[in-house]
Amino acid sequence: MVRLKHRYLLVNILYPENAASSATKPKIKDEVPYTVQFHQPTSDRIDARSLTQMIRSGVAELFGDYGSGMVAASLQIKYFSPATSTAIIRVARDHYRLVWAALTFTTKLPHPANQACVFQVVRVSGTIKKAEEEAIRRAQRSIRQAQRQGGLKSATPAPDAAVAATRTSVDAMDVDDRFAHGIDDADEDGDEDEDD
Amino acid sequence: MFFDLNVPFDLKWTANESQLPRILAFLSELGYNVVALNHTMSGKLPASLTSAIPDPLPYKDLPPKLTILRRCTLVLTDTHQNARLVELSRNYDIFAVRPIDEKTLQLACSSLDCDIISVDMTQRLPFWFRFKMLSEAIKSGKRFEISYASGVMGDSGMRRNLISNATQLIRASRGRGLIITSEAKSAVACRGPWDAINLAAVWGLGQERGYEAMTKECRSVVVAAQFKKTSYRGVIDVVYGGEKPVAVVAEQTEKVKTNGKQQVNGQKRKADAIDVSESSTPKDEDGRPVSKRQMKRQQKEARLKATADDGVAGPEAAGAGPKPSM
Repeated sequence: MVRLKHRYLLVNILYPENAASSATKPKIKDEVPYTVQFHQPTSDRIDARSLTQMIRSGVAELFGDYGSGMVAASLQIKYFSPATSTAIIRVARDHYRLVWAALTFTTKLPHPANQACVFQVVRVSGTIKKAEEEAIRRAQRSIRQAQRQGGLKSATPAPDAAVAATRTSVDAMDVDDRFAHGIDDADEDGDEDEDD
Repeated sequence: MFFDLNVPFDLKWTANESQLPRILAFLSELGYNVVALNHTMSGKLPASLTSAIPDPLPYKDLPPKLTILRRCTLVLTDTHQNARLVELSRNYDIFAVRPIDEKTLQLACSSLDCDIISVDMTQRLPFWFRFKMLSEAIKSGKRFEISYASGVMGDSGMRRNLISNATQLIRASRGRGLIITSEAKSAVACRGPWDAINLAAVWGLGQERGYEAMTKECRSVVVAAQFKKTSYRGVIDVVYGGEKPVAVVAEQTEKVKTNGKQQVNGQKRKADAIDVSESSTPKDEDGRPVSKRQMKRQQKEARLKATADDGVAGPEAAGAGPKPSM
């Protein structure tokens, strides 16, 4: 019996535009550095289920019945943190590119939020562990970046929330830029991860 | 190093309400290192061919790590004079052309001197890409552009056309000599480099080729375009001539000095023009060159003086004699 193999996509949700359209959310001022604006926390009205729904409909729109059939059984959101706007999505290994393409063609969040956003896949991993580690590393890095740029503006909620959300023993591992967009494409679960 | 060689630059944007700083910041956030602002021209060329994109840009908070280039895209509607195009391309970092039918595509691939060939992929093209034509262009260093923003933001018809044209281009070029750009008019249409590579992978371009289309091929366009402008006939370029900047400055000031003196004198002497270096000809107190007769006279004087003093300060005086100016 051959084991069913998966890919884990670590996804960042970025907000290229200021959240002026959503009424309930306070408008972030323009003085806030761009980095912090882009890494806003996601609206609470979005949860893993609506995100899954969005991906399914996206795949169906792009790839039709064939695509959604191929992806349907394995697609699952393993982790979703609105505070850091990060998600880990599981897909079957053979068809992860369909889901990725559907994410790329997504321009806004599903119905209750309706906010313009960009999904960026920052890591493709064969194991969920590596995806988690990368998520933690990136959260730490974005906090440091925001601190550098904004000079520790306490008005922005994103960094503090991010600290709470990445439930980790923070070993202060300095990340170089090499890791920033490394896509790991390991074929086996036990494989060593190599970044490019 | 990731490149995005097509970010449309709209001249109507004023400095305070422009989208551009946001787009550039977002591209930098996504991981791009080099971005080219694109100015599209169509129809007749204007009289003055200066760059329409201001340099430096009138925005204050641009991302520091981002290199910004300037690109010009010319829509090939009517016949242009080649000399004018060369002049136009000299004002921009990258020169691209947009053929609209088979004839202009043939022209762009063969004789026209451009860096990027950019075909409008949102429409159904009235021609096929042929490998022979494309390979000719790719061999001479031209690259074909695939822009994904119209597929991301446009309706399903545009997306369909984009996918159809992109797959045809990938098939006909066999995956070589392509570059992937955004052509994003707003920040929402930008995508990360790896997302774009994946998209190309879905469309039939291998991941390795896609990675090259985002990095290596773009770099070759930028470097070749720069090379065309700075080098001697596109063959030889002096990157570093081994010169020492301080010494050069000193020499220049010296030259200026001597020139000034010649003008004060009001006379132009052949000997002066040939012998510029100051150290070789001895000079008197006023700085004028000493004639040979005068030199001999001085030497004789010194010798006489040396014999008169005789041994007290002889050798030194004899040594210093011939060069009174020192």
